[in-house]
Amino acid sequence: MREHFFRGSFMKKTQIFISLFAFVTCILLSNNLYADSTESVVTDGHSHAEVKRGERFFKGLLPFDRNYSSCVSCHNLNQVDTLNWNPSAMDIAMKFVDKDFEAFQASVMNPVGVKMEASHVNFNISEEDLKTVKIYLDDLVHTGTPVPKPTHYNLILFLFLGLLITWAVVELIFIRKIKLKFIPLIILLGAFGWQVKMIVTDAIKLGRQENYAPDQPIKFSHKVHAGENGIDCMYCHTTVEQSKSAGIPATNLCMNCHILIREGTNSGKFEIAKVVDAAENGHSIEWKRIHNLPDHVYFSHAVHVGSGKLDCMQCHGPVDEMDIMQQHSDLSMGWCVNCHRDTEVDFGNNGYYEHYVKLHEELKSGAIDSVKAVDIGANDCMRCHY
Amino acid sequence: MTKYWRSLDELNNPVEFKQNEVKLELDAKRAVMKKASGSSRRDFLKTFGFSVAAAAVVASCKRPVDKAIPYLVKPEEVTPGMANYYASSYFEANEYCSVLVKVRDGRPIKIEGNDLSSVSQKGTSARVQASVLDLYDDARFKTPLKRGEATNWEEVDSYITKKLEQLNSDNKKVVLLTSSIISPTTKKVIAGFQEKYSNVEWVKYDAVSASGILEANQQSFGTALIPDYRFERAKVIASFGADFLGTWLSSTEYTKAYAAGRRVLDKGDEMSRHYQFESGMTLTGSNADVRVPIKPSEEKTILTALYYQLLQAKGFMTIAAPGSPVDVTGLAEDLLANEGKSLVISGSNDVNIQLIVNAINNLLGNYGSTILFDRTLNTHQAIDAEFEKVFARLKNKEIAGVLCWGVNPVYNHPKGQELKELISGAELSVSFSDRKDETTAACHWVCPAPHYLEAWNDAEPKKGLFSLSQPTISKLFDSRQVQETLLKWAGEEQPNYYELLKANWEENFTGLQSKYSDSRLFWNDALQKGVFETEIIAEAPVYSENGLENALQLGGAESQGWEIVFYQSVALKDGSSANNPWLQELPDPVAKISWDNFAAVPVKWAEENGLQNESVITINGIEMPVFVQPGQAPGTISVALGYGREVAGKVGDGVGKNMYALASIQNNAKQLWLGGADVQTTTKTFELALSQTHHSMEGRPIVRETNFDKWLLDPASGNEIREEHLEHHVSMYPEQEFKGHHWAMAVDLGSCVGCGNCSISCQAENNVQVIGKEQVRNRRIMHWIRIDRYFSNDAENPDVYHQPVMCQHCDNAPCENVCPVSATPHSEEGLNQMAYNRCVGTKYCVNNCPYKVRRFNWFQYVQNPEFDYASNSDLGRMVLNPDVTVRSRGVVEKCSFCVQRIQEKKAEAKVAGRMLKDGEVQPACVQSCPADALVFGDVNDPKSKINKLFKNERNYHLLEELHTLPSVGYLTKVRNKKA
Repeated sequence: MREHFFRGSFMKKTQIFISLFAFVTCILLSNNLYADSTESVVTDGHSHAEVKRGERFFKGLLPFDRNYSSCVSCHNLNQVDTLNWNPSAMDIAMKFVDKDFEAFQASVMNPVGVKMEASHVNFNISEEDLKTVKIYLDDLVHTGTPVPKPTHYNLILFLFLGLLITWAVVELIFIRKIKLKFIPLIILLGAFGWQVKMIVTDAIKLGRQENYAPDQPIKFSHKVHAGENGIDCMYCHTTVEQSKSAGIPATNLCMNCHILIREGTNSGKFEIAKVVDAAENGHSIEWKRIHNLPDHVYFSHAVHVGSGKLDCMQCHGPVDEMDIMQQHSDLSMGWCVNCHRDTEVDFGNNGYYEHYVKLHEELKSGAIDSVKAVDIGANDCMRCHY
Repeated sequence: MTKYWRSLDELNNPVEFKQNEVKLELDAKRAVMKKASGSSRRDFLKTFGFSVAAAAVVASCKRPVDKAIPYLVKPEEVTPGMANYYASSYFEANEYCSVLVKVRDGRPIKIEGNDLSSVSQKGTSARVQASVLDLYDDARFKTPLKRGEATNWEEVDSYITKKLEQLNSDNKKVVLLTSSIISPTTKKVIAGFQEKYSNVEWVKYDAVSASGILEANQQSFGTALIPDYRFERAKVIASFGADFLGTWLSSTEYTKAYAAGRRVLDKGDEMSRHYQFESGMTLTGSNADVRVPIKPSEEKTILTALYYQLLQAKGFMTIAAPGSPVDVTGLAEDLLANEGKSLVISGSNDVNIQLIVNAINNLLGNYGSTILFDRTLNTHQAIDAEFEKVFARLKNKEIAGVLCWGVNPVYNHPKGQELKELISGAELSVSFSDRKDETTAACHWVCPAPHYLEAWNDAEPKKGLFSLSQPTISKLFDSRQVQETLLKWAGEEQPNYYELLKANWEENFTGLQSKYSDSRLFWNDALQKGVFETEIIAEAPVYSENGLENALQLGGAESQGWEIVFYQSVALKDGSSANNPWLQELPDPVAKISWDNFAAVPVKWAEENGLQNESVITINGIEMPVFVQPGQAPGTISVALGYGREVAGKVGDGVGKNMYALASIQNNAKQLWLGGADVQTTTKTFELALSQTHHSMEGRPIVRETNFDKWLLDPASGNEIREEHLEHHVSMYPEQEFKGHHWAMAVDLGSCVGCGNCSISCQAENNVQVIGKEQVRNRRIMHWIRIDRYFSNDAENPDVYHQPVMCQHCDNAPCENVCPVSATPHSEEGLNQMAYNRCVGTKYCVNNCPYKVRRFNWFQYVQNPEFDYASNSDLGRMVLNPDVTVRSRGVVEKCSFCVQRIQEKKAEAKVAGRMLKDGEVQPACVQSCPADALVFGDVNDPKSKINKLFKNERNYHLLEELHTLPSVGYLTKVRNKKA
């Protein structure tokens, strides 16, 4: 009995030690990752204190007695998942980093545009305060906005399940305190099963980015363009019927409309100004690519839209409701293949299918009632992989 | 049945050969095992553990963020994801070809033949195909150089202009040394340059010139021109050492015509008879109906004898014809029976030989029928004697400056080393070369020209047949067109060759046509088509016997001991593209050796002296590895030119030996043979990358052949065994039904000459990787389409067969059944598919394929410093076709029938809602085949060409008895020997 106890307590100590070690390591590691970003580089002869003061002002911590809302209440530090139409601190910082204080001051205090005029009322900010804001913003360009710490719910859960398993095993073999053996057994199996499920789902998801919705350099809203204004998809994505690639509109195509439309109902002038700037000064707009197929997959929009007459939304989802564009389908091979199995080919109306003499005969004789994509080889390997 | 053999060992000791082959195979396997056993099971577990851990870490990382950057202003003609084709002209190493350049998203990635050109007629050669890789060559100059140091154009211009002016006022001579220039506008630029600098002389120099023909025609016809040889009109072709299918004059054009004159598919088709008198086995000789091995010194005696026999037979002479080392009565009879429908040519650079050839052709009435003087060939303009004069004057310090453009005499002149000193000792030496070479290394100034795919130019390869070159990519480096450089030095402030070219065409060429009255419309049309061909009415020059008597009296050259023949290799030609890894790895069409030149020695001599392949002999002190060449004339040795470059770049440096040093200057012309050579055997050996004993077909009736007279009686002759095979086609399983397309290819063995164009075309299209000499030796060559070469009959003078073999796309494929992961299933359209990302590399399919067409990636060949060829740099990888996966280590690959092209054309048809036209889908090999030997199409379409060919009596399939049901058909080889 004594021996048992001894061994039990020894195991417990080891266990505690390992858990502690893992915990501390995790904390240390995660701290290490962000250690640099909190440090503020003093630039352009401005002191750390000035930068800090500017930051406090921007975030509404200074001054205490004001009758206007803080900057941060409208301007996020950086873009976030929910669409905030107003330019972020980073956006503003980038715009004014090469300009002098007067330009910045003019823009804040004497706003132009309907939306900005409405929100920048009653701004009685002292020049001193505004200067520190400019200093803070300039600093921001160099240091970058702090990266939000990622939350590892899954990892924590996984580790917790691991602990549960360890406990259950130890309980079953060594401690044996719980009389009802099935309790630790169920916990063991349940926790283990859950872990396996987590691994399998994550493994399948590897390399897939369903719901991927990165921040774009311009707050471009498909909802505004395709939904509210009802612009046809193909007005911008012009090559979708001829080429494998649907085509991202060239900047001069944006200017077809934005040569006149310089202010948006949501974003005011700031976002559209970026497009105008790109077009006029010859910068490229570096959009982030959302739909990424692996390199060994060949996908042709021409075949699906040009010939198959599929609706864009069948794969891309309710684009007309998306302020922030996101990947709707998982673009997995299973998803492709299943659609090929179910989709009927418009056999009668496309001259190309006259090559399929046998299938036409079968259709006529009633041996088959429809031709699915899979029947003309849509699921052959070398339709997509070559 | 004819006995076929692949090497002499196999012919003489078949059993031993087989045993040896098995042994070699085992050795190779053991070597692999040995390498693998370096790591034990424990190591494996360790690695496994680490990789799992690494995978876990990687998996927890986020995917990299890809950018999608649109155009600012999209050019009208560019559609992302779709290729554009621009017509252009290739002219390098005296070879002209009208081409279409496939440009995908701003990068030229593939060369195709232009069917609008009546010169190259949609055909290309391996060299033309590989030229796109030269664009992305690391050995290209990135900036102008001053004594090897980077400089800028301002400095170059100010110094050289001043220097030229100074030399001009001092009346010191400057030589502009160029290769043949076929561009009319460039000629104008040079004329303008000479006008400004009256001390500049323009001298042309070709590495391998046709000065023998030019000078002979000067004497016989009063014009130093190369006539238009019409091989398709000739019923009898007699070639004396001219490799007209491989490298002689305009080989792509001649291949087209030659194949057209010999294609027999339907009743009534006729076929020419081809005699070849040569020393080494050339590509042309391997296709001849009657091949006669001769020494080069005998050529003139034989031609003289032939001439006298013809004279005698026509009653012009009564005395007996002089004797000949070989019997030419048969040839004389054939020639006389086909007067005006025959063609006699010689590859010799000896003006006397060419004079006799002219006399024979005149006697036979070939001028005006098979040899025309209306469309004379402009690609070979250099007279060797001119350069020899320059050489002498350089030596005497009579020339103060040398401007070298497109020439490399330091490498390819017999006295190159001396020349190097002379050039670097000149007051002014400038090279316009776009990449490193020996002559450029000797020059003080380098003013790099752009690659032809980056430049504007025009060309007149044959009289009245014009074509244009246009840039298909912005200049990759700081280069400037030579024409602009010359204009600049001649005093123009802002030289623009494009404007000059356009103006020249609009002014001078618009009047030559009547379709467009507006010169701008004419220019656009010509630029779009790439070619502009005018009608020509030329009076045939009158033949005179000038110099003939003298030529006949001089007699033949003395034969003294060994005679060494230097020939241009089909892959490298004169050696200017030696830094191109595709060409270096292309096996020689006859010897099947890549990555080296070698001494092809006669069989008997090798046996007597105990020499084998890879033994080493010395020729005038130069060590050369031996290849025992069946058909090599006794007393001769053949060695390829174009190797042994010293300043070519990382790929070409030090590959093989430079043989130009042994060529001789006789009668002021470069003679590509050497008499009385000192040949010594050694006990050394040198490893050669032979692909000859790869791909054994185990003596089965793989190549089937017939003779023309037998074919006339029975079109299925030689193919009788097929009936038996078809009778035995019984299967327990139902045959797959193809409800739509059923893709298939036919290979006409009668037309295929074995030039290797398809291998390189496929390599460019399908991102096939170069693996280097060692791996080729290990039998791992990656070419998706290889050309098997077989010999039959007499080892001293065998018949040769070329057979392109690619994946046969069997409908009952042995490879498909054995794949454990289903990575290679059959498609609904009859394709044998290969899914790389599914393949785990068991290689069961490789082993089970009876045709040995599957290739395994033993290593990572891309971005691997161990394989530092084209795919190890960002620049070199720009040539990759974005529509084809770049395979990584550990997967199997093979011919896909260019499925990306099938899919592309299908998509086009589907979107347009129309059926595919027959011949619309063309795999890379088919598109540019200069012999039209390959036909691709949908065999389910009863009206298609392929369907008809599959029903032709000559059609058979490889190893049909195995019931693999291949989708590739072969048409029997037809020869036209005398019955």
